[in-house]
Amino acid sequence: MKITHVSQDENSPIVYLNNAATTWPKPRGVLREVSRCLRMPLNEPGRTTGNGSTDYPAAARESLAALFNTGPPDHFVFTHNATDALNLLIHGFVKHAGAPFHAITTELEHNSVLRPLHALETGGAITLSVVPFTGCTVDPAAIKKAIREDTRLVVMTHGSNVLGSVQQIRPIAEYLHASGIFFIVDGAQTAGHIPIDLSDIPVDAFAFTGHKALFGIPGIGGFYLRDKDSIAITRQGGTGTDSRSLSHPDEMPMRFEAGTPNYPGIASLYAGVRFISTTGPERIEKRGKKLTACLIRELQKQEHVEIYNTAPDLPLVSFNITGLGNDEAGFILAKAYRVIMRTGLHCAPLVHDRIDGGQGCIRASFSYFNTADDCRRAADAIREVAQGAHR
Amino acid sequence: MRIVKSVQTKVCVDGSLMKEYVLDEPLTEEFLEFLKHFGTLRFMEHLKKPYFSFEQEYFISIKGFAGDANVEVRYNKNFQDLLADYFHLLLYYGRQGVPGVVKMNGIVQSIRDRMKIRLDAD
Repeated sequence: MKITHVSQDENSPIVYLNNAATTWPKPRGVLREVSRCLRMPLNEPGRTTGNGSTDYPAAARESLAALFNTGPPDHFVFTHNATDALNLLIHGFVKHAGAPFHAITTELEHNSVLRPLHALETGGAITLSVVPFTGCTVDPAAIKKAIREDTRLVVMTHGSNVLGSVQQIRPIAEYLHASGIFFIVDGAQTAGHIPIDLSDIPVDAFAFTGHKALFGIPGIGGFYLRDKDSIAITRQGGTGTDSRSLSHPDEMPMRFEAGTPNYPGIASLYAGVRFISTTGPERIEKRGKKLTACLIRELQKQEHVEIYNTAPDLPLVSFNITGLGNDEAGFILAKAYRVIMRTGLHCAPLVHDRIDGGQGCIRASFSYFNTADDCRRAADAIREVAQGAHR
Repeated sequence: MRIVKSVQTKVCVDGSLMKEYVLDEPLTEEFLEFLKHFGTLRFMEHLKKPYFSFEQEYFISIKGFAGDANVEVRYNKNFQDLLADYFHLLLYYGRQGVPGVVKMNGIVQSIRDRMKIRLDAD
């Protein structure tokens, strides 16, 4: 063991591959719109006599409705993030349904789904079946098989945040729709990464977050709800409308929005969606796939690297370096090579129970702003660490 | 060597408490040799920065880069109160060479005794 002085390279550029958690950098237009939003007095319909600036909530709802090809923009509700949206939807549906019933979810879920459902199960409001995945996806037939006479709700992810697999929600949605079973889809990992046409898929509710592939800032998310009356109101407060009434308004989107909205967050989401629409969702998807394939190809050449899905649909690669804990590998890659990724369980413990014995893994995830050079630098760093661990 | 500041604290997936410290000088080869008396030291020198990790079962783990003044220390989740000063003690007695090893062994035994009492009571 010979220690030499370590040169500091704090000024060398980082390779940011943690976009499945939060995208960075943001498009210039997003930064400009947030700045613009804060430079002017807010345009808050019903809450101010001024109306000189952009009505960001209305503009963002319209851009989301166009991106996802849905019905009325007012059926988009803003929340803090996807977790907040899923909590509103799940607890709101249970409150609406009343009597205890059977619900279904999958092993691929994030804790934003698992924890609310677990809390409801523990409290006796629901019984819960967790459908396993085979390969990297949940077989629609397995969902169908899990349905019981008292099944009222299915909650599942559109795209796994660990395996990067996009689930076949269309056949599931069609079957559930025909069976009168409410279907909530968690689109946190897919919204912005792949083209999504909700006019073509009969989901009842679709949750998304702003700070990932929609390029907004943290603190903004939301959901699309097809039928407003399918979810009970669980929050009440000021809406700037019908203030004489002590009952919370029933109209969308106020039905689920109480208090002053997150205007800078909504402005960022508006600009992020505008960037996606201008760039083209297909082009964004293509670039993500290209970068992902590049990294997988490089890692497959490397001994001691285990990849958990070699054909992901989303731009993320989950892997481990044998003989080195994922937290250690992530630490070395970040501090010595300035390659930033995410390690651990990614808030999806059931997936890891199946793929890596619950130990967790390293996840590299791309955005539209990553480059082929980022991919090469990451691959070189991973190769060096893997070789170093086995010398 | 001494701790200048603690820059980050978080609870890890396994429940252990992680603290990132900045030391007043880079970790030395002598200190890493000192650590070997109390646990397992892994050294990966053929990296962009030579990496080390130290693991003392039931006590703490340390990771960092040789020649760097930043370290990450994890404290066993079950005995965090007994181990609060442990890293400070390692740094302090690490300066003393062999006498420090003897002193530190006494401290380790004392902590082990208290761990045993707690485990027996549970």
